[in-house]
Amino acid sequence: MRLRLFCVVLLVVVVHAREERECATCHAPESREHPRTSMARAMESASDCEILRAHSVLSFENAGYSYRIERHGEQSIYTVARNEQSVTVPIRWAFGLGRAGQTYVFEKDGKMYESRVSFYQQIDRLDLTLGAAGAPPKNLLEAAGRLMTNEDSRCFSCHATDAVHDTKLTLHRMTAGIQCERCHGGGEAHVRGFQQGQTVAMKSLRGLSAEDMSNFCGQCHRTWAEIAGDGITGIANIRFQPYRLTNSKCYDSDDARIRCTACHDPHRELETAAGVYDTKCLACHAGGKRAALSCKVATKDCVTCHMPKLELPGSHHQFTDHQIRVVRANAPYPN
Amino acid sequence: MLRAVLVLWSAAYAAYAQNSSPQELFQRGMAAQQAGEYDRAVRDYRALVVQYPNVFEIRSNLGASLAGEGHYSEAIAEYQRALALKSNPRVRLNLALAYYKTGDIQKATETLERVHQEAQDDQQAITLLADCYLRLGKNKQVITLLAPYEQSQPDNRPFIYLLGTALVRDGQTDKGQVIIDKILRDGDSAESRLLMGTAKYMVADFSGARDDFAKAVQLNPKLPDAFAWYGMALLSTGDQAGAKKAFEKELAGDPNNFVANLHLGAQLRQDQDYPAALKYLQHALELRTGDPAVRFQIASVKMSQNRLPEAEHELEALVKDSPQFIEAHVALATLYFRQKRKADGERERAIFAKLNAERQAQNEVAVKPAQ
Repeated sequence: MRLRLFCVVLLVVVVHAREERECATCHAPESREHPRTSMARAMESASDCEILRAHSVLSFENAGYSYRIERHGEQSIYTVARNEQSVTVPIRWAFGLGRAGQTYVFEKDGKMYESRVSFYQQIDRLDLTLGAAGAPPKNLLEAAGRLMTNEDSRCFSCHATDAVHDTKLTLHRMTAGIQCERCHGGGEAHVRGFQQGQTVAMKSLRGLSAEDMSNFCGQCHRTWAEIAGDGITGIANIRFQPYRLTNSKCYDSDDARIRCTACHDPHRELETAAGVYDTKCLACHAGGKRAALSCKVATKDCVTCHMPKLELPGSHHQFTDHQIRVVRANAPYPN
Repeated sequence: MLRAVLVLWSAAYAAYAQNSSPQELFQRGMAAQQAGEYDRAVRDYRALVVQYPNVFEIRSNLGASLAGEGHYSEAIAEYQRALALKSNPRVRLNLALAYYKTGDIQKATETLERVHQEAQDDQQAITLLADCYLRLGKNKQVITLLAPYEQSQPDNRPFIYLLGTALVRDGQTDKGQVIIDKILRDGDSAESRLLMGTAKYMVADFSGARDDFAKAVQLNPKLPDAFAWYGMALLSTGDQAGAKKAFEKELAGDPNNFVANLHLGAQLRQDQDYPAALKYLQHALELRTGDPAVRFQIASVKMSQNRLPEAEHELEALVKDSPQFIEAHVALATLYFRQKRKADGERERAIFAKLNAERQAQNEVAVKPAQ
């Protein structure tokens, strides 16, 4: 078991390093900062995980169960106990970086489980994984985590690269985190062609409309259609930015000024200073678009008013609401 | 060689039949039918029907014998010919049963409604009609049909069970609970577990429902609907693989189970096995003609297959028939945007926004901006 885990991790590290290096040869500006972004680190092996390395012991109690994650060298061991019984397993993967939770995946009896507890940066400790509060455990294993099904292959697909083929998990090919090929497609033919003096184009995302890009990014951040169709209403949908953005009055499916990459460069870490986004708003609201009015209240830090940060209960995180709007006092959360 | 034997045997039988009087043939047919030797009965009645095509009893008995052999389509034709000669509630009930057996629940229901008009006290017809209503999702009709018997026939277990199921599925869990308690008095049973599970499922206690359904299928794996509900509870608790197996087990026992056909089709769509998904979904649509949920799934499969004009046709018809069906408007908006029909897409999104706001108003949760 340990040898198998070691081999998988080693393979992932080697493949990852080679692919990044090959892309960086020609795409230096994009490759320089990308490895440090949250997307590139959307998944880490337990051995690489900074949060687990920094916390020698994490503990938590809920519903009569005690939870403990202890660091032993390169491993993090997850133990869930109640009375005289306990489950102890090594953590394989850490999903997320803890800003909105870091959840762990472990393997038991050949099956994958999502940990029932997650680490949250804001409180610097463990708490229940989002959604776990509504499903009280019936036994020790359920208390440890939720059995992951084929449907959960999406977790891997959105936190790693090359993790899923034909709806099936392919962990042996997987690279942790969102790397170049997750968005741009397989680059082997592109690199080989270049080496042989031929041009083999990669998937171009440059020309996507706002709608198409919303759907593209929505593969992971969830599309408008998915959230609308699933009927996820109320604050629970604040996490799904393409859905929220599409519901904005200023959303225009054809206008590149409102597409995801107009504000966010996926090759760089997310900008958190509100003022950075002013120029994006003013691209339309400073006379760039006839129907777009100018703000009568302020000329800077637009997003602080028009894209409020709201806390999703249980996430210990304030999400930026991407439904751009004039926020009225005491108005209910829209959609 | 075999063919020659068959030809000789048929010729001998024809000669034998010709030598028998019509009365003898009819009585022999009846005796064979009563003994369960349907193939012999069919031969005798067929020999008779050539000579006497307009005798009600021969046609109806031929229909019953054909049904006994499992030849339901031919049985239906014979029952219809018999009923054209003379109206008879018993034969009409047989016709309904034959429709039921072929999975044509819609026609079975229509036929049973007529039987019920003609013979209001026929308990077999009432039971079958209630079961058909239940299969068509017409819970209120089941309640209207069976509620009068709750007091007059409190020990009629099929009636009580069907009434309880309809009440629970209709969201009348309090009234349903009274029925469940009556059934529980007889001890733990697959039926009571199925009913209790259904009640829990209706109030979104999915893990509780799953445990009851698991017990129901353990107690009686052949109980109609049990595996279908178990599958739905497994789906709701995140066990897709288990759900798929449960739906398959339900369909192995009853290929005409609507819920299992619909949900297995929907799951296969998610697994991107589109031809298999369509097979189950189209059968579900045969079982419940025009059902919006099935039509939506079929349109979704076609969208996934990039058969956009067909999907468009289906979805436009669906939102016309069911204008409050939010998911259909969402799918139609998405389809229009894929076709670069911005104005149509925005119109559908506006309809979604309106319907969603109405839904939102029902579950309004005010959230204050963070300080």
